[in-house]
Amino acid sequence: MKGRRRTRKRQKENGIALLIAIFILLLIGVAAIALVVSSGAESALAGNYRSSTSVYYAAVAGLEEVRARLRPTDPNSFTNTAPGFLPPPGTLGDCNPIYVTNPIGGVAITPWVQGSDYSDTQFIQEHGDACAGAGPPSPSPTAPSLWNLNPLKSLAFPGPLYKWVRINGVSEKSLNLDVDADGRADSIAPLYFDNANRVFSNNPGVGPQALELTALAVLPNRTQKLLQYLVAPTPLNLTLPAALTLDGNNVQFTVPNSANFQVSGTDQGSVGSCNPGAVAVTAVGYTNSSDASRTNILNAIQANLTGNYTPTPPPPPTPPPPNVNLVSFSSSLGCPRCSLTTVGGVNALVQAITQSADVVIQGPATQSSMPSAMSASHPMTIVVNGNLTFADWHSTGYGLLLVTGDFTFDPGASWDGIVLVIGTGNLYSAQSGNGQFLGAVFLARTLDASRNPLPPGSPPVSPYFDFTPASGSNGVYYSSCWVQVAQPASTYKVLSFHEISQ
Amino acid sequence: MKPRPSGSQERGFTLIEMLASLGIFLLVSGAAFTLLTSSQQRYRTESEVLTSFQEARLGLDQMVRDINDAGFPPPTFANADPAKVTTAPFGWSPNYTIPAPCQIGTGGGGTCITPTDFDIIIETEPNPNDLACAPNCSVEWIRYQLQGTTLMRAVARKQASHDPAVDTAQAGFVPFVQNVVNNSPTLQVGQFQLEAAYPLVFAGGEAVPIFQYICDTPSVPQNPPQPCPLAGPDNAPTNIRDVAITLIVAAPLPDATTGRPRLVQLEGRGRRVNPNQ
Repeated sequence: MKGRRRTRKRQKENGIALLIAIFILLLIGVAAIALVVSSGAESALAGNYRSSTSVYYAAVAGLEEVRARLRPTDPNSFTNTAPGFLPPPGTLGDCNPIYVTNPIGGVAITPWVQGSDYSDTQFIQEHGDACAGAGPPSPSPTAPSLWNLNPLKSLAFPGPLYKWVRINGVSEKSLNLDVDADGRADSIAPLYFDNANRVFSNNPGVGPQALELTALAVLPNRTQKLLQYLVAPTPLNLTLPAALTLDGNNVQFTVPNSANFQVSGTDQGSVGSCNPGAVAVTAVGYTNSSDASRTNILNAIQANLTGNYTPTPPPPPTPPPPNVNLVSFSSSLGCPRCSLTTVGGVNALVQAITQSADVVIQGPATQSSMPSAMSASHPMTIVVNGNLTFADWHSTGYGLLLVTGDFTFDPGASWDGIVLVIGTGNLYSAQSGNGQFLGAVFLARTLDASRNPLPPGSPPVSPYFDFTPASGSNGVYYSSCWVQVAQPASTYKVLSFHEISQ
Repeated sequence: MKPRPSGSQERGFTLIEMLASLGIFLLVSGAAFTLLTSSQQRYRTESEVLTSFQEARLGLDQMVRDINDAGFPPPTFANADPAKVTTAPFGWSPNYTIPAPCQIGTGGGGTCITPTDFDIIIETEPNPNDLACAPNCSVEWIRYQLQGTTLMRAVARKQASHDPAVDTAQAGFVPFVQNVVNNSPTLQVGQFQLEAAYPLVFAGGEAVPIFQYICDTPSVPQNPPQPCPLAGPDNAPTNIRDVAITLIVAAPLPDATTGRPRLVQLEGRGRRVNPNQ
């Protein structure tokens, strides 16, 4: 009886409900898995693109850090943060690279050890058998990245994920470029960059050494990129042909009636070990002899004050004529595009100076915008984008001041160095004071009456030196020493960039 | 004595039971198969969208990489052979050989035949260490051009005094990304028009440029870069600094359940680092 009951029970449990349920579950499961796989692949694809972009910018961060630190005036320069790391200028060998390393989490980075985690395999590819077919010397000199130095080291988040940046000189071999015109790109002699002609040369006399920066960035998911810069310092060598240069057609000129106001092209003013002694320059220089420029300048000078525009040629007649002359610009400017006779060239000068500036201030600005770090022993390159007004400032500025709007000057103040007013080309003063410019002053107007840019090929127009007759000021005095000291520090310009495919 | 089997408990199903169970089974399996069909359709649509997405991503990545590298090696790598250095990071037409720049426009404006909203030529040496060509690798013109709904790619070796637009066209285009609908807001996909289905993507029924150019402003260097068509005297291919890329790709078939076209929109940006002179 018992066995029969068990049989009956089993028969009652027969059926296909379970099978159907399993079947439906299976279908739903398959659909769910398909959905998960699909969205997973989608996010993986988006992730790949994100990785590729992140690693690109991580490597660029490394290149930019090193490019900035190569500049001696940078607060984080290698000279300050890693003394002895950089060999003397012009002596970095092609086969003796140095590395900036950026270890994160204590991982050792030894690019010269082939087979190590972040080894530098590109060095051998690039140099072939030029460096005895071997990799970089083991060990090569290293310096820590800024992210491994205080204060950035103590930050709670990691910096950019680049691993190392290699710095090395370049040669015909590494650039694959025939420089000495022997038909072969085989020499490993260092190459120098001729900034004026924009070519490479084996001759150290033509310019500074060109350096190659190569950065490797690797993300935790092993995405990696190698990027390469070729850089060279580009000193500007800004020289001006007059104490006060008015660049452009039909200059406008107004000067104080005060006998204290002088413009002198005689070299004066010592700075450190530099003493005056250079050949005198023109006091007031203009650039167009066939328009009203000269007349406008001479008409503004009172007859009894013509002797205030010196030097006058010996023996001076009485009264001596003012030293107002047609000038042309030196071609030795370290910026081949910066021809100061065209609007485009003057603008290129603005661009070159802005790139090397210590401070760029958005106008309108006042004397309170001037950096406090500026001093006679630390002249700075300051760019004001817009108008600058000094009012009741009885102090002295040092360095290069570039103003792209109107510069309203307080003659109570002085400026030692170079003052450039490019854009509106308007230097205005209506106050009294006994301040002066010591160095050189340059004015050029590159905007039309509506303040729209003039065509790049046209000459600048109507700069306006507008010191009202009632204003004060002791004037403008040429100083070759201050012009030299106020030169903007040369930046390492990017000569080329490319991504190295791996 | 052997117990008599219980006839009432071992009898077969009645007709009513059979019909009822058959009916239930049909209902359940019908529902299951409907679900299966719908899942299949959904899977097919999704995999097509995914394929489009993948193609577009790869395409965008390649374009951004080419634009980042535009202008390598720059003219400072002076070499006797002008085909070994770039003249400018981006090629243009007309007047490339004179050389005189053209003006970049948008929506059919400007004087450039290329670069335009849907056409760009990048001048670069993509892989100087390529063993296939080293040490004589040449600068190449890499052109991306939208033809209908296919983004085409053409590569030609740079030759002195040649027009890059002519040379790349002669070298031949190959399909690069399919079903790019940036310039097809009225394109029929399924029963919908893209413009009606995606009014936000194609605002006002206008085409969406693939390439938008940001120019440096050397005439007023203190100004930040701005869109080339607004850059006035600086509107020239030699001044291109950034290229913003928008790629809108449609899946080959409309959504199986809604019938709407499925679009993937991707954004990218390439930035030229090499100097342009």
